[in-house]
Amino acid sequence: MGFRNLGLLGSFAKEGLEKAFSLGKFFCFLHVTDTYLVTFVVTSGPSMLPTIDLIPTMFLGERISTRFGKVTRGDIVIIRSPQNPRKLIAKRLAGMEDDTVTYISNPDEPDKQETIVVPKGHVWIQGDNAYKSNDSRNFGAVPYGLIQHRLFWRVWPIKGFGPFWKH
Amino acid sequence: MKLVSYMSQWRGIAKEAMDRTAIAVKFLCCLHITDTYFCSPTHVYGPSMLPTLNMVGDIVLVEHVSQRLGKVRHGDLVVIRSPLDPKRCLTKRIMGMEGDTVTYFDPMLGDATRVAVMPKGHVWIQGDNIFASHDSRHFGPVPYGLIQGKVFFRVWPLDCLGVPGQ
Repeated sequence: MGFRNLGLLGSFAKEGLEKAFSLGKFFCFLHVTDTYLVTFVVTSGPSMLPTIDLIPTMFLGERISTRFGKVTRGDIVIIRSPQNPRKLIAKRLAGMEDDTVTYISNPDEPDKQETIVVPKGHVWIQGDNAYKSNDSRNFGAVPYGLIQHRLFWRVWPIKGFGPFWKH
Repeated sequence: MKLVSYMSQWRGIAKEAMDRTAIAVKFLCCLHITDTYFCSPTHVYGPSMLPTLNMVGDIVLVEHVSQRLGKVRHGDLVVIRSPLDPKRCLTKRIMGMEGDTVTYFDPMLGDATRVAVMPKGHVWIQGDNIFASHDSRHFGPVPYGLIQGKVFFRVWPLDCLGVPGQ
């Protein structure tokens, strides 16, 4: 009797392990696609108004252009915050390395402009909503290595579904 | 008739090829996950970390768990993406975390020691060989988000097997 139960348990365990392996393989494949190709990104917050809405919006972000250095100014990217490494922020690339960027550091004083040259290996990011955006005007140019994804397609809300480049 | 028999032969071969490819792909996926999230071997070379690491090249094991959990500390040897060239990774030691005041000395700029305060979310990296290292003394504090992993074991050359020394 005891041996039969053990045999049953053994076959359950084997089946469980096989299912776990298939699940594991599926997640590995999903992860590789996520890391190297395309992933879903959800953004929220007012710093990219009017391009991106306040409410949580879902996009598709790709990593191929970021890996090959093909992102240019005007692209909207997801970048790891230089102030808090656990936070990802969505901003527009306003300047690439060796560009001269002229910006208004305080939108309440539009006449006071500052000019800066973006150092090598760095980019200048800016939110479209100049009044409510914590970006390179506050923390300076950020290293290119912090860029994670480039947004290229809006998924949700449905009425905004469609390509999301050249905005 | 011959065409049909050829097609059935090819179908058998194609199916076998697909199965073998699927196994290879699954294996590579698992390897990649281990590499990215747990531990990966890296070849490091250059004079900037003498005498801790050799100039001609060492193979070290880098773990990617601590930097995700925020457990990287002062004095750790880390692999970090270069802020000047995003395609290159550097191996340096962390000499200051955010909020710290770092006192450093650059032999190329004379005998004066300088002081720097780390901004939020940034770390100060320095090579052990201060005479031949291009590090935070030249390009300033780097964001913590650029850290790729922590070096914890050396596997090659075999006579230096073990934890790289202090």
